[in-house]
Amino acid sequence: MFKGNGFETDKRLVQDFAAGTVDYDVCWDHSSFFSQYVKAGGLEPLDNYFSEDDLKDFIPRLVDAARRDGKLWVIPRHFDISCLHYRTDLMGDRKPPETWDEFKKLAIELTDPSQGIYGTQFAGKEEALSGRFYEVMTAEGGSLFNDKWEPTFNSPAGVKAATMFAELYAAGAMPPDMTNFLWEDVAKNWANGTIAMYTEWYGWYSFFQDPKSSKVAGKFDFARQPMGDGKIHSGWAGHHGFSITKAAKNKEAAASLIKFLTSVEGNELEAKLGYLIARQSVWDKIIAEAEKSTDPLAKKRLELALLQAQEDFKTPPLIAEWLPMSNVLYPVLQKIILGDVDAKTGLDDAAKQVWDLMDKAGYYKS
Amino acid sequence: MATDALAVKKARLGVFELSADEARHLPFLLLLPAIIVVVAVVAFPMLYSLYLSFTNYDLTRQTHDFIGLNNYLTLFSSGGFWQAFGRTVLFMSLAVNLEFILGLLIAQLMAKAILGRGLLRTVLMMPMMFAPILVGFQFKWFFNAQVGLVNNLLWTITGEPHIIPWLVNTPLGFITILVAEIWMGTPFMAIILEAGILSLPTEPFEAAEVDGASGWQKFRHLTFPMIGPFIYTAMAIRSLDLARVYDVISIMTGGGPGERTEMIWTYVYRLAFTGHNYALGSSMSYVTVILSFLFTFYLFKNVIKSRWEGRE
Repeated sequence: MFKGNGFETDKRLVQDFAAGTVDYDVCWDHSSFFSQYVKAGGLEPLDNYFSEDDLKDFIPRLVDAARRDGKLWVIPRHFDISCLHYRTDLMGDRKPPETWDEFKKLAIELTDPSQGIYGTQFAGKEEALSGRFYEVMTAEGGSLFNDKWEPTFNSPAGVKAATMFAELYAAGAMPPDMTNFLWEDVAKNWANGTIAMYTEWYGWYSFFQDPKSSKVAGKFDFARQPMGDGKIHSGWAGHHGFSITKAAKNKEAAASLIKFLTSVEGNELEAKLGYLIARQSVWDKIIAEAEKSTDPLAKKRLELALLQAQEDFKTPPLIAEWLPMSNVLYPVLQKIILGDVDAKTGLDDAAKQVWDLMDKAGYYKS
Repeated sequence: MATDALAVKKARLGVFELSADEARHLPFLLLLPAIIVVVAVVAFPMLYSLYLSFTNYDLTRQTHDFIGLNNYLTLFSSGGFWQAFGRTVLFMSLAVNLEFILGLLIAQLMAKAILGRGLLRTVLMMPMMFAPILVGFQFKWFFNAQVGLVNNLLWTITGEPHIIPWLVNTPLGFITILVAEIWMGTPFMAIILEAGILSLPTEPFEAAEVDGASGWQKFRHLTFPMIGPFIYTAMAIRSLDLARVYDVISIMTGGGPGERTEMIWTYVYRLAFTGHNYALGSSMSYVTVILSFLFTFYLFKNVIKSRWEGRE
């Protein structure tokens, strides 16, 4: 058995599929990664092993994000999505922002250098930055690609999203070294009490609510992510799950193992550990239990996460080129944020580079 | 009789008589295990990656077609690559020369120390004991804009809060990485140069003193030319280290933000290896191999030259 974090497991899987050294029947999988394994011919379609009846309890958007080319490749286990975290002690009588325009305005208002408070922050590099751009741009009505897989993120919606990041930075409403932040850095800043509001994954909740690790314990609340001009709520999301390898010797047994791992009992166990699980029926149960909790945010947190999973859940494009294109995109977004290039010029340049990348990957062959 | 006794003695000792032909082949046979290992772990991977650089090999797409010089043309037509290349050459040149100047200064002082030279040497070696990845984390924290040591030190000294984004601003990001690398590399330079200084004969210095030479004159005309081979050897080794510098930059800035501190290895990693495009990665790697080769060639040429000058 191989143990590693998601990125390490991804590397191992890619290498195993390429080298033909797969000696396991079931593998961990992720909505952002499985397209690579499909492309490498490493996975077995699951449609013959999982009936509609088997899948009906799973949140539909999660199952949709496990399909590609009309086939099912992953059985979802648990997911993550971000919601807006805001400081109740700093907001006064203001309401959490409902649109990204309101978000920008409020972030600038809440910035208070004398108290060391920044209005907001974002993880500022790698996929973390590309993903945030993706979800804001989508809310503004844009998309990364058109139906011919030509990049379209340099559209007015993309320019508006990138400009928002740049304006927040130029106004001093984000920490000056935010372009060096990754997930842990932004979470620690929030726990240190230097940020008024930002979008964050649900997974950090127990860390933020623990007074031993967080200065903001009991001083924050949640809201759905803002909308953009497209009247769409942001909702960059992903799910973890399991797949059957093409090399599996006993695929029926492999399917049986996945059914056990993603069963109601399995989901209940993982829900108790704090994961946002994939089965609708388990959600009803844990929300009912959360009503009895002394934690004032316990029920709201779960209800909001479920609502987002049902309505806002959006993965990046389910293609193997997502991470390579993100590696082209994020340095350009950093340049835009730092003012090294304007949003339109930068995104046009990134779109050209992504077009070349997609061309080499064979997307434009007629 | 005597010949028989010698043959018996040789046989007892396990020494065999070899024909002239066997004797000629023996060195090769003895070296064969080492040659096999070197071919398997060095030559074959290098030649294979050279071959890969002429293909479109991609781990996820499983493509493996010969595409000639396309990968190299892609690289050479990329503005980002040339910027990273230029920055890497500048970084190597500055780091190796500054490390040399500081190392020589420290080596001179250590060579003059009467007491505690061993302790000094041990303390000096400490930065070399840290893994580069830890040095990266350490300096990332030193230069953190909000909770970093440097900004807090400035606050304490000036009484005013300073939130300088060291790792973000140009050219501060480049300079901070340079500082980290110099901190790590200078002790090596100092120790090698000190060994060189201590190995020098005393007679020329005594003669120079009799002739009334000043300290600077002794350094300029005796010490410096005489430790030439040590200087160039140390610089060559550090150049090779610096040509593959990745860990410290990756941790401190990742080559960013916005390519502001991008060097060849971070560029290779970002565009080739995270996308499993090993063919493009191989071609980029070969460019850095050539760069390292040129630096090393230049420096070793000077080692040989300085050896000859030392003999004259």
